[in-house]
Amino acid sequence: MDIETLYALRSSSGLPSHPAIFLVLLVLTWTLHMIAVHVMLGSTALALTGAFSSSPNWRRLAGPMLDTAKVAVSLAIVIGVAPLLFVQVIYDPFWYVSNVLSARWAIAFIVVLLVAYWAMYHHYFVGKEGGSATSRWSLAVSLALLLVAGFIMHALTSQALRPELWMAWYAPEGHLETAGSGIHEFNLGRYLFFIVLAAPVTGAWLLGCRRYLDCREPRDAPYLDWIAGLGNKLMTAGGFAALICYATWMATLPDSAAGFPVSLWSIAANASILLLIVTPAWFRSASGGYGPFAAAAGAVLLIAIAREALRHRILFGTHGYELSTYPVNLDWYSNALFCLTFAGVGGFAIAYSLAISWEAGKAPGVYTASPRVDRLGGFALAALLVWIAQYFFFGFLVMTR
Amino acid sequence: MEYTTEILGLYPTWYQPALGSGWVLGIIAVIHVLASHTSVGAALVSTWLATVAVRRNRPELLEYVRRYGVFLLVFSYVLGSITGPGIWFSATVASPRGLSALIHSYVWWWATEWVFFFIEVVGIYLLVYLAGKVDGRSYLKIAWIFGLASWATMLIIVGILSFMMWPGQARWFTEGGTLNGFFGPYTFAQILSRTCFMLMAAALAGGLIAAYIRDGAFRLEMTRKLAWVGMLSAVLGAVFFQWGLTTLPESAQLLMKTRLPGSFVPTMWAILTEIVIYFAALLLRPGALNVPLAAGMMTALLIFGIWPEERARESMRKPYVAGQFVYSNQIIARDVPALGVKSELPALESRGMLALHPFIPERLRRIGEGNELEAGHALAIVYCSNCHGLGTTGTRPFGEMFAGNRDAADIERFIKGALVTGNMVNMPRVPLRDGEAHALAQFIASLPLWHSITR
Repeated sequence: MDIETLYALRSSSGLPSHPAIFLVLLVLTWTLHMIAVHVMLGSTALALTGAFSSSPNWRRLAGPMLDTAKVAVSLAIVIGVAPLLFVQVIYDPFWYVSNVLSARWAIAFIVVLLVAYWAMYHHYFVGKEGGSATSRWSLAVSLALLLVAGFIMHALTSQALRPELWMAWYAPEGHLETAGSGIHEFNLGRYLFFIVLAAPVTGAWLLGCRRYLDCREPRDAPYLDWIAGLGNKLMTAGGFAALICYATWMATLPDSAAGFPVSLWSIAANASILLLIVTPAWFRSASGGYGPFAAAAGAVLLIAIAREALRHRILFGTHGYELSTYPVNLDWYSNALFCLTFAGVGGFAIAYSLAISWEAGKAPGVYTASPRVDRLGGFALAALLVWIAQYFFFGFLVMTR
Repeated sequence: MEYTTEILGLYPTWYQPALGSGWVLGIIAVIHVLASHTSVGAALVSTWLATVAVRRNRPELLEYVRRYGVFLLVFSYVLGSITGPGIWFSATVASPRGLSALIHSYVWWWATEWVFFFIEVVGIYLLVYLAGKVDGRSYLKIAWIFGLASWATMLIIVGILSFMMWPGQARWFTEGGTLNGFFGPYTFAQILSRTCFMLMAAALAGGLIAAYIRDGAFRLEMTRKLAWVGMLSAVLGAVFFQWGLTTLPESAQLLMKTRLPGSFVPTMWAILTEIVIYFAALLLRPGALNVPLAAGMMTALLIFGIWPEERARESMRKPYVAGQFVYSNQIIARDVPALGVKSELPALESRGMLALHPFIPERLRRIGEGNELEAGHALAIVYCSNCHGLGTTGTRPFGEMFAGNRDAADIERFIKGALVTGNMVNMPRVPLRDGEAHALAQFIASLPLWHSITR
């Protein structure tokens, strides 16, 4: 596809804000999504290991990891909606074509994810206490399907970066192929890299859990220390595995990304993986702590930026696709609506939800909210009511104009 | 006037011969509607019940809210949260430009909905896991934040759905502005009718949980409560739905009268009557509630209520798929000066689809000896396959069109008389050039043969 065609494929409706804003939000929300995905994959794998293990520590860990996995799937899906939205806004020519060319897989993604989620719930309800023979296997099915879902996403993203091959995929030898049944492009190194990252991120999560549980179960020091040890091992060994996968990915990049492996962005990605490896030693985290998870989140953010830089290298560097030339039809109201809702309503509501669940989780009996937490809840509720009022106010204003 | 456009921004086409891409999208959308309507309605019902439970200090009611929440987590939130993006995925492959047009105008509204969706998902977990573990005042705050955030997601999506049907204000085409596209009489009618139907779906789903309550007296109380909610919201929802129909533009009214199957209106009344009778019966004999009955009613709502309603909504905006300017076959068919959007029909009329579509192989760009049938097939894929099966399967299959007539000349006359001129109210104008109309007619006439070769 030449650059004129790529520009023609852009939406003629333009964008309601400058593309740079969407780009930043894409990277940030994708980072949050991937953190949830990594915790989801890691905790599911740990729950599965625990379900099949005879070790008391492993069996004990399986329960909370299953709880974690269940919530992490929810969060991964919910947060994932945002980068899905933003990628469709600024990279629409690439995303839409890639999806149509593998349409059956794009649809299968939904079914695969649904079955994976329900299989996890099956294990939760049937075999939470250690797992029954069948429910343990349903958890294994769940993990396998989550990996398949990840692979489909990976393939769709990879195909989006190969516009020079689209026509060969859609009309091989000049005949239309409209079934959308093929996976046309994938990179095993890249896929494994993003999967393997689940190990160090979940390791960091475990170190946070160790610290959190310390307040509630201080007499369980041997078990908690075992959790911390496992977290440290996952961070270090997982980090090394991620480094190898990253090198494999870089070695197998297409010609359109030539030079990227030695770019500053790639060096930053390598540094962030090294950060994951050295984090346990850096934080002296034998007794756990929240610092390693913050470090892991920072590392994922750096990797997300490098991933975006690679996309830019291919689409702009090779194909000449310049994001900043996307036509803008500024819409002040919806810009303000999102910003104020995000900061006001979302800020208060999520801060309140986090604060109350954090505090209640640490309290042994019924938790009574402190005045500060209670006030936060009041602000969240008030912000929601104001939002609904403005919705109808502007609605009637438009109707009566 | 000779147009010099070199290429149009048309995407490749996914052709799904068994069901049709539209039906794939429709099936996912209908499942999503059931799950999402139930979850928003249930959020409002849960907020009310949690308020009663805390104010009157009734732990058994709090336990009901918790169990209802667990059911919602497994059913509505898993199904709803996955089929929600599922609609995007299926629309992406079935109608990329339609979805793109919506997203590029309403991205910030969708992002705003995402904020509420996030609050809602966190809220349902808090509602379930903190029941009985936090003080009453805090639990009420959690319930109200959850309920209002859930309702806010509906407020946003209703405006976008309204825009899909028809921009709220006619001035949107010239002035732009998402507010102008978002708010119209249909928006408000939909808010009321959908809120009622959501409450009705929640009352049906709530029956599933109530059927498991062991305490007989409490079970009867809950059944009666839900029956009142369900019956009142079904009746009010029907009234608001009728009002909503009067707010639709004339073309939608015409399509509803002429293009919907005759069974549509009786089916809708039948399912509504059945639901009202069901709730009335539960009021009289609450002890009759059981799980198969409640589950059967939810299934009936899905098959006889939501499916025809969604299909009708889809039909009424034809031939457009979004904002009355994007055809269901991806072509931009109307100028939108406010956004700098130009109709592609003049260019297609002047140069032809085969010349302007970026995903047409070079060997099919010019029709000649040896490629006429394949060029006709390519045109059918681009222009027709979004709504028609190109054989004997799928929706409105070509094999059953033209009353079985396979005379190429007759078919070409029909194409030129009705489609090229845009004389069919529910079909897009198909501005084929002479050679293209001839090739498409040849392809349709050859369908039995073509079908047997490509099957």
